[in-house]
Amino acid sequence: MWAYIGKRLLLTLPVLFGVSFVVFAMVRLIPGDPAEIMAGQAATKELVEGIRRDLGLDRPILVQYVDFLLNLLEGDLGHSIRSRIPVTVELAVRVPNTVILALSGIAVATLVGVPAGIVSAVKPYSVIDTLVMLVALAGLSMPVFWSGLMLILVFAVVLGWLPAVGTGTPAHVVLPAVTVGMTSAAIIARMTRSSMLEVLRSDYVRTARAKGLSEGLVINRHALRNALIPVVTVIGLQMGTLLSGAVLTESVFAWPGVGRLIVEGILARDYPLVQGAVLVVALSFVLVNLLVDVLYAAVDPRIRYE
Amino acid sequence: MRRDGFLALVVIASLMAVTGFAAAAAPAPRGGTLIIADGVDAETLDGHLYTSSPTAERMNHICETLFDLTPEGKLVPKLAVSYTISADGRRVTLKLRSGVKFHDGTPLDARAVKFNLDRILDRETRAPWRGLIDRVQEVVMLDPSTVVLLLSTPFAPLLAHLSHSGTCIQSPTAIATKGAGYARSPVGTGPFKFKEWVSGDRVVVTRFDDYWGEKASLDEIQWKVIPDDGARVAAVEAGTVHVAKRVPPREIERLRGIRALRVEIVPSLRTIFVAFNTQRPPFNNKKVRQALNHAVNKEAIVKAILGGTARVSDAPIAPAVQGYSSIQTYPYDPDRARALLREAGFPTGLKAVFHHPTGRYIRDVEIAAAIQGLARRIGVDLELQTMDWATYVSFVRKPLAENATQMHMLGWGTVTGDADYGLYQLFHSASWPPLFFNTAFYKNPQVDSLLDRARTTFDQSERNRLYRQAMEIIVDDAPWIFLHSESQVTAYRAEVGGVFMHPQERLVAQGGFLRR
Repeated sequence: MWAYIGKRLLLTLPVLFGVSFVVFAMVRLIPGDPAEIMAGQAATKELVEGIRRDLGLDRPILVQYVDFLLNLLEGDLGHSIRSRIPVTVELAVRVPNTVILALSGIAVATLVGVPAGIVSAVKPYSVIDTLVMLVALAGLSMPVFWSGLMLILVFAVVLGWLPAVGTGTPAHVVLPAVTVGMTSAAIIARMTRSSMLEVLRSDYVRTARAKGLSEGLVINRHALRNALIPVVTVIGLQMGTLLSGAVLTESVFAWPGVGRLIVEGILARDYPLVQGAVLVVALSFVLVNLLVDVLYAAVDPRIRYE
Repeated sequence: MRRDGFLALVVIASLMAVTGFAAAAAPAPRGGTLIIADGVDAETLDGHLYTSSPTAERMNHICETLFDLTPEGKLVPKLAVSYTISADGRRVTLKLRSGVKFHDGTPLDARAVKFNLDRILDRETRAPWRGLIDRVQEVVMLDPSTVVLLLSTPFAPLLAHLSHSGTCIQSPTAIATKGAGYARSPVGTGPFKFKEWVSGDRVVVTRFDDYWGEKASLDEIQWKVIPDDGARVAAVEAGTVHVAKRVPPREIERLRGIRALRVEIVPSLRTIFVAFNTQRPPFNNKKVRQALNHAVNKEAIVKAILGGTARVSDAPIAPAVQGYSSIQTYPYDPDRARALLREAGFPTGLKAVFHHPTGRYIRDVEIAAAIQGLARRIGVDLELQTMDWATYVSFVRKPLAENATQMHMLGWGTVTGDADYGLYQLFHSASWPPLFFNTAFYKNPQVDSLLDRARTTFDQSERNRLYRQAMEIIVDDAPWIFLHSESQVTAYRAEVGGVFMHPQERLVAQGGFLRR
C-alpha cells in the first residue's frame, strides 16, 4: 500500500513538469502585455519597456522558462506582476479559502446527493424518483450566478438569517457551500441512482432478499457498498473541480478563492501568478485522485494495492 | 385634516433625517466601522506605484498630496499651504504645513517631500504617474518647511498634477525600512492609518488620532471586494455593507423605492468616445468622421442603455475639468450624415471594422452594438470586434505603422482635473502611440501650438481661452465620435452620512459617520 502511494507520488512530478510547461507557454501565447497593464493610463513607452526589463520579459522565452523551473525547485514561484508580492504569499491567502469552500461544498453535495440517489433507486420510476431526478436536473442546469443570487436574496435580504457575502464566520460558508454543492449534489445523486439500480438487479442482492433479510439490511450492507465505487470516483472528481476554484460562486459571494485569483491573473496577464496558481491546482487534482484510488480499497476489500 | 398635517411633519422630519439635515444640527456621531463594497481590489498600496482609481480611493484616506482638488474642481492647499511661481515660470516655491506627522511619527518636512518627489522622478522606481511631474528637474530644500521645484520648462498644470494621488507624500522612513513590503503596509499623513489588506477580500484602515486636520469620526473603514454587480447590490440591501459602488443603472429605480437606502448619481471626469484612425482611409476624411458623429444618437444611447445616468459630451473633456467650455454636440441627423458621406465620395456607404473592449466601461458592449445599428442607417456597415482589456490596450497602442485599428472605443479619465491631461495626451501630435494615448493619430499644427501655449501660460483665464480655441478645432475635425461622460451610481444605507463620490471616481469617506 505505502509503496503504491510512494510510486504514485513520484509520478506526480512528470505531470507537474508537463503542466508547468503548458501553462507557461499558454499564458504567453495570449495577446497582451503585462507591462502595459501595469503601467496604466498615463504610461510612457519608456516606462512600459522599463517594467518589461524589470520583469525579465525581454529575455528569450526559453531562458525565462529555465529560470522559472530553477526557482520552482527552491519553492519560489516568483512575484505577482500586479501586486509585486510573492505568489506563494498570494496563494497562502487564497488556498485555505478554496479548501474550506470545496470541503463544505462536497459535504453538502454528498449528504444530499447520496441519500437522494438511494431513495430514487429503491423506488425507481415512482413519484418520488421522478421528483428527485427533476430536482437534480434543475440543480445541474441552474447557473450558479443565478442560484447564488437567489439564495442571497432569500436568506440575506428577505429573511436576514445569513450574511450576504464575505468570509470570516461559519455562517459565511453556508450559502456559497450550498450553491457549489447543488450542482455536485445533482451529479452525485444521478450517479448513485444508476449505480444502485444496477447493483439492486444483481444476483447477490436477489440472494440476500431470498435469505429473508430486511430491505434495510439488503440496501445498506449489500447493495450500497458495491454501488459506492463509481460514486466515490465522481465525488473525487467533483472535489478536484472545486479545489481548482469555483470562479462564479467566488465572484457572487465575494469569496477570495483560487478561482478568482486565476481569472484576475489572466485578465491582468499576471504570468507568475497564473503559473503558480495553476500548478497548485494541478497538484491538488493529482492528490485528490490518489486519495480516491486509496479510498477504493477501503470501500471494496477486493481491491488491493501492492 | 390635523392628521394629514401631522403626517406631513413626520414625512418632512424623516426626509430631513435621510438627507442629512438632522446631522448638520447635531455633531456627527463618533465611532463605528464603515463598510464599502467595491467591484475590484487594490493592486498595490504603494501610492507611487498604483494605476487604478479603486486603489486611489483607498490611498487617499491614508496618504495626502501637496494640493487637493475639490469636487467642484477647485485647487486648494493640502500638505503645502502656499506657493509662489517665479516670473519665468521655472521656479516653484512651496511652503509646507507645519506640525504634520506621518503615522509612524516621522515629521513631514522638506526632506520628506524631496524624498518623495525624487522617488517618483527616479526612472528606476517605475512610477506610472511620473509623467505628471517630469518637467521637474530638481527638488531643492530651502529650509525645513520650504521646497523649491526647478523646472526644465514652465509647466502650468504642475500644481494640479501635485493634487493627483499618484504624487502623494509617504513616510520616507517606512519606505526605506520596509523595502518591497511597503506596498502592503503604506504609511502616510492622512486621517486614517493602514491596518490590514487581505488580498481579494478587504483593505482596512483605522482612525489616526494625531491627524493634523479635523479628526475622523469613524473608528474604521473597510473596503470589501464584491465583484458581482448583483451581489454588491444585495449586500447593501441586506445591510452587510453600508455603501455599494458601481450600481448598475437598471437597479436605480428599484433601489430608490427602498427606504433604508439612498442612491446618488455623480458625474465623473471620464469621457467615453470612439477614436478614428485619422491617418488612413476612409477616416482620414473629415466629412466621413463628421457623418458618423451625426449618425450616432448620443441622447438615445445615454437614455436607453445608461438609464440616463451619463452626460452627452459637448466637448472632449467633462465639465468638472479646469479648462472646460461647452463647444457643441453633433446633432443626431441621419440625412445630414448621408449627405456628408456623399460629399466625401461614399454615395453607397462604406464598410469598416470597429474594435471595442468588454467590461471596461459601463455597458461598453451594448453601446458598441448601438453604434453599429445607428451607422447602418446611413449605409456604414461596421463589423464589431470585441477584445478583453489586456489584449485591447496593446492593440490600440501600437505605433501607426503596425496599428490595425480603423475605429475603436476608449474612455479617458482626466484625473488631474486639469484640461492639459485630457487634451495634450489625446490630441497633441507628440502623443501618438506608443508614446501616449493619441490613438486617433490626430495631427493639427494649430491644436499642437494652442496646447503647447496653454502648458506654459500661468494665467488661468488665458489658458481657458486657449483650450476653448483648441477644442473648437478638435470638435470640428472630429477625430472621435464624442459620446458621453460617465456617471457614478452609488447606493448608501440611510444611516451613512458625510460620505460622497468625487468626480475623480473615488469615494471620500474621511468625514463620514454612522447614525445610530
